[in-house]
Amino acid sequence: MNPLLYVIAVPFILGVLCFIPGKVRYIREAITFLGTAFGFTLSLLIFLDMPMEWSRFGSVLLKVDHLSGFTLLAAGFFTLFIALYSFRYMKDTLYPARYYGCILWTFAATAGALMANHLLLLLVFWGFLGITLYLLVLTGGDAAAPAARKSLAVIGGTDALMLLGIILIYQLSSTFQIDGISLHFNSLAAYTAFFTLLLGAFAKAGVMPMHTWIPDVSEHAPIPVTAFLPASLDKLLGIYLMIRMCFGMFAMNASVNLVLLIVGSITILASVSMALMQNDFRRLLAYCAISQVGYMVLGIGTGLALGLMAALFHMINHMLYKTCLFFTAGSVKQQTGSNSFADLGGLGRLMPWTFVSFLIAAFAVSGIPPLNGFVSKWMIYQSLLKLKDTGGSLWVIWLFAAMFGSGLTLASFMKLTHAVFLGTSPVKIVKAKIGESGFLIIFPMAFIAVLCVLFGIFAFSGPITLFLQPITAMLKPTISGVLPMPLYWSAGTATLLILAGLIIGFLIYLAGNLKNVREADSFTGGEELPVDTRVSGIGFYDTVRDLPVLGTLFKRAEAKWFDLYELGSNFAYSVGGLLKKAHTGLLNLYLLYILLGLIIFLILLMGR
Amino acid sequence: MIVFILAVLLFLVGLYGILVKRNIIKLAIGLIIMEYAVNLFFVLAGYREGGTAPILDGDLAPGTVFVDPLPQALVLTAIVIGLGTTALLVSFAVKIYEKYDTFDIRKIRKLHG
Amino acid sequence: MSLLLYFIIVPLGGAFLLPIISRLRESLSDWVGNAITALLLYCSVYGVITASGKTVTYFVGGWRPIADIPVGINLVMDGLSGLMLLIVNIVALLVTLYSVNYMARYTDKGKYYTLFLLMVAGLNGVILSGDLFNLFVFLEITAIASYALVAFGIEDEELEASFKYQVLGGTASALILLGIAVFYQTTGTLNLADASRVIAGIGHTPTVLFAGVLFMAGFCLKAALIPFHAWLPDAHPAAPAPISAMLSGVVIKVLGVYPLCRLFFNVYGITPLIQDIFMVLGVVSIILGVFLALSQWDFKRLLAYHSISQIGYVVLGIGLGTPLGILGGLFHLINHSVFKSLLFLNAGSVVYATDTRELKELGGLQRKMPVTGATSQVASFSIAGLPPFNGFWSKLIIIVACVQAGQMLFAVLAVIGSILTLLSFLKVQRYVFFDALKEKWKNVREVPFLMCVSMIVFALLCIGMGLLLLPQISAVTLKPAADVLYTGLEYATKVLGG
Repeated sequence: MNPLLYVIAVPFILGVLCFIPGKVRYIREAITFLGTAFGFTLSLLIFLDMPMEWSRFGSVLLKVDHLSGFTLLAAGFFTLFIALYSFRYMKDTLYPARYYGCILWTFAATAGALMANHLLLLLVFWGFLGITLYLLVLTGGDAAAPAARKSLAVIGGTDALMLLGIILIYQLSSTFQIDGISLHFNSLAAYTAFFTLLLGAFAKAGVMPMHTWIPDVSEHAPIPVTAFLPASLDKLLGIYLMIRMCFGMFAMNASVNLVLLIVGSITILASVSMALMQNDFRRLLAYCAISQVGYMVLGIGTGLALGLMAALFHMINHMLYKTCLFFTAGSVKQQTGSNSFADLGGLGRLMPWTFVSFLIAAFAVSGIPPLNGFVSKWMIYQSLLKLKDTGGSLWVIWLFAAMFGSGLTLASFMKLTHAVFLGTSPVKIVKAKIGESGFLIIFPMAFIAVLCVLFGIFAFSGPITLFLQPITAMLKPTISGVLPMPLYWSAGTATLLILAGLIIGFLIYLAGNLKNVREADSFTGGEELPVDTRVSGIGFYDTVRDLPVLGTLFKRAEAKWFDLYELGSNFAYSVGGLLKKAHTGLLNLYLLYILLGLIIFLILLMGR
Repeated sequence: MIVFILAVLLFLVGLYGILVKRNIIKLAIGLIIMEYAVNLFFVLAGYREGGTAPILDGDLAPGTVFVDPLPQALVLTAIVIGLGTTALLVSFAVKIYEKYDTFDIRKIRKLHG
Repeated sequence: MSLLLYFIIVPLGGAFLLPIISRLRESLSDWVGNAITALLLYCSVYGVITASGKTVTYFVGGWRPIADIPVGINLVMDGLSGLMLLIVNIVALLVTLYSVNYMARYTDKGKYYTLFLLMVAGLNGVILSGDLFNLFVFLEITAIASYALVAFGIEDEELEASFKYQVLGGTASALILLGIAVFYQTTGTLNLADASRVIAGIGHTPTVLFAGVLFMAGFCLKAALIPFHAWLPDAHPAAPAPISAMLSGVVIKVLGVYPLCRLFFNVYGITPLIQDIFMVLGVVSIILGVFLALSQWDFKRLLAYHSISQIGYVVLGIGLGTPLGILGGLFHLINHSVFKSLLFLNAGSVVYATDTRELKELGGLQRKMPVTGATSQVASFSIAGLPPFNGFWSKLIIIVACVQAGQMLFAVLAVIGSILTLLSFLKVQRYVFFDALKEKWKNVREVPFLMCVSMIVFALLCIGMGLLLLPQISAVTLKPAADVLYTGLEYATKVLGG
């Protein structure tokens, strides 16, 4: 049998095994570890052994090229780490069978979707992922039910639209083979096909306007689930599909790219502004995750090789630091039982490992050099600047959105850092004697944080040359994958300079402290503060609510005015309500309907 | 031809009954009228001008016209079926009266929407 | 004696014997009922395999056709009938299995099984009948049995539902019988195969078409297509759960869709106008049905409205008239039988455990009733068309067929219908199985073993039926059935030979 089949079948079968009823926790954990480790190892082997393919029924059904090999490897890596993290975090879950079974199924289906070279096969795996997401979210307990419903409604609904798009593609190019499709935007059908597929990718990746399920899910689902699907694998899949479409199946044109650029910019700005206003660790991270996808969409929307590379790199970086951030949120939740800012504060001293990992990831997401987030953002800025050469002056807007969004991200993480890790602890935490989490929580978190640093410092010699340049070279053979020199961000030198700067700063700090500095407790108006008074992060940026236009927009957004799911279901319910009025229960009326139908048939069939 | 029209008229009378009447017994009667109109129509469809009963009894003159026996057989069956449905319908009407205390279809509307 | 006769004689005989047997011992009726449906399933599997897609005709009483003109009653089993027999008897067996425990809530199981077997006899009869009047008689047998079964609980709502069902069903029967009369007067025959030849000779004259209008209205009423649907949302929820499963699962298809297909594809010969009517009826039913379903708060009523919507997909697919469309329509028909029966059985289990069907009163039952919950999730994903469950494949084929036939609008509407279906089943899942468990359901227990078995088998079918599309399997099941409709008027030759 072909190894490509093993990477799907083995985790899937192991996942089925997890559903066998039984009370022993370790067996399921062992199965899960086995499955994920196997998946990671095999995807590594496949990555080293590319290109590979598997044919049946006269067509190439599975195919691994540079792009799918790389994304498969990433998926394998993250699944393994999520599994490790879960063993500790999910040890008291009420639904161990469903949880571990679905983790393995998710990996199997993701692998299938990434390797599928047949559009229908892709759709089958893709749709199945919606189901596993639904079941995984439901492990969050009763409160997660509405969020689970919403996530499957959005994802399943867009899957149905994708089906339509796929059939249109088949109609236009008479093949389902992804590598055999090459469409031009010369008909309404081509546009419809592109945008229906794009909506599917948007829903998975969480691009506006299909993003609304993510904040709800991350608030209620268990944290490993949020870190696993909305924050990493679903992003991976969404961006993967977008790249397949924009750099393979469709020959892009300027207007479609413009749509992508607009959507990307709006996503960045709107959701980072929403992130600023959140008062829950996980919700803030979720909105921030949405805003980061905007960068990837911007990169793809440039249509340039550099933009593509930047988008891919940002995707992988985002998976790293966002998983790490969710892990820290999990660590905090594990120890304090809450993720709401009102209950948190001053954890930096109590949970140093968590704090440091968080800080690294937070700097990375805010695009602070020399961490990985900076490099990919820098590449995105560069690719946006490159748009200048192709004419038009709209690039200024995109660049502004990207950079301003980055600033706002930093601002939102300042709020988060203050509210959770700095400041004074609430009385409850002081009393509860919170400590650091266990090894199985810290290890994945810290390991990924270290990767964030490494991916930043050795960006060009490491991931970009190893993974990304072959992909770019494969997808755009005409444009060279090598970047022009001035664009290089010399990460090594910069890191040294930054380190030097930090050391000098620290020395100055020490020098200043040599003299005796007076320290005093905080006070207001000469009065000493009561013990339980503290400044939590809740009030940060609340003044925005009072601004004339923005404030109204915020209120509308919070009342779900812009939520397509809410709008859609309200509309459906009102139509249904109207139709229900036609069913009064009066028998004669029903007979009248029948008579009308009969008369219509008479007219239609006998009318000529 | 005129008999067919009369049968159709009878059918329409039944239709009028079920469309307009509010009393469930009258509704049942309307339905029965419809069924009988159809039965009548069916029998008439098998009638042949000047035909005799379709019974083989030996001394038939050549060229004798039979009425079509098939519709008669079928209508007999249909009548039996009609009997079954009518009995069920009426017994349910009685049961409904016991539960709802009314024959008025407008008041028998627990199921709607 | 031919195998075909068993399909009618066995359940009919069982129905006559059961009242006596159940006098001896109440529990015997369970055994007899299940044994008979199991035998029927065996017969249909055996029959489908031996026929392997060919047409089998049986002339009752040995009255063979004289000069190709049939003189007696004949039973015909071709690909389409074989498929329908298979699905009817599978559902019937699983439903009787479920009834063993479920119907213990009601008195007099003997009468229940009697009526049930009468219904099955009628269904098998409709499928096998080679002539129009026989079809009508069996249709009435099924209808009368189902009127009685709907009201089996004899409470006020059940009686009301059954009464309305009877009046509307009686209207349908009157229309169909009138159609038969007009048809007979014009063509001089009631044998479907013979009539097909006659119509091919005289063409679609106004009287033939008038009979067609009456048939269409009558059978659409039985199939509950909008605007002929009003009885269904009352009657299906009111019946005991196993009967709801039968009614929604197979009865509307056998009494409605199957005769429509037979008449208009095999006897009349399909025309673009009739196809258009089918497709429009289908799409209107899909969209209006699903909107109505979405805004229901009664579990079974919601399912009932979904039956209307799903039958719309079947009729849409068949109405396309292309080989792929017909295949998709028939595939969806059998898929719908499976997942809708399962959903009604799930609803029945919920009612069995809690005695309520109100979504807002339920909640959090997943942990208390894991089997019911899990199987209902399978069925919900199936009906919503999520891969890899069976509903996905049939909807996929129907939508592909729509696009290939150039009916973009219908394809889009079918997709929208599918999204709304998903939405409404997520609502069911949330309110019944996942929200917080209410205090009053703390002592709820999972339903008895046999009910679980029945639901699990249905769920496995939902997962596995996608395999029917594999070329080897579809060659003996779906393909012959679709061919029967696609080749249309060749039916006469196949049945009567020469």
